[in-house]
Amino acid sequence: MSKADSERTTSDTAPARAWLMGIVAWLIPGLGHLLQGRWVRAILLGGAVWICFISGFLMGGHLFKYSGSEPGSSSLLQIPPMVGDLGIGLPYIVCWLRDFGFSYPTEQAALPTFEYGWTFLLIAGLLNYLAMLDAFDIAAGRKS
Amino acid sequence: MRHFLVMTTFAALAAVVFGTVAKDSNRERVVYGLKVFAEFMVIGLVLAWILYFLPF
Repeated sequence: MSKADSERTTSDTAPARAWLMGIVAWLIPGLGHLLQGRWVRAILLGGAVWICFISGFLMGGHLFKYSGSEPGSSSLLQIPPMVGDLGIGLPYIVCWLRDFGFSYPTEQAALPTFEYGWTFLLIAGLLNYLAMLDAFDIAAGRKS
Repeated sequence: MRHFLVMTTFAALAAVVFGTVAKDSNRERVVYGLKVFAEFMVIGLVLAWILYFLPF
């Protein structure tokens, strides 16, 4: 088997460890890289995602979830931002189980940074999806 | 000022992640991260000025 064939085989079939690292990276931002000994990447990626997530709440943002309470098919509009928020992993699940951060009082909605807040929370989830894919690729040997 | 600070924070965080996951060498990553940061800032400011002049 040539070197190119060997590399192709390695990158085509991801080992179970790669899937595990991907899931861990999704659940806790930064941990997927940390477990693989990629300290700098873990600090940069995990740090950026956590700062984005915490900043979102500090700015008065809220998380999205599918409630089904909107009339007609309007509830479907809640699904895309929910998928984005879900990217943050365990923090979203904890918030969902404790029913924290989904509802917001009128005073919170009146904050000048309210829109920024939920956008930051959404971006934190989306950035963590990128970090998750990076951790998966490293564990699968597709990336150095 | 607050809006500019938020935009800068967003651009910096996104640039860190984009720069870290992309490219092969550290030098390329830093250059790419700085480029992404600059693009977010410039495009954000340009869009802000365009929206400022729109009457709705």
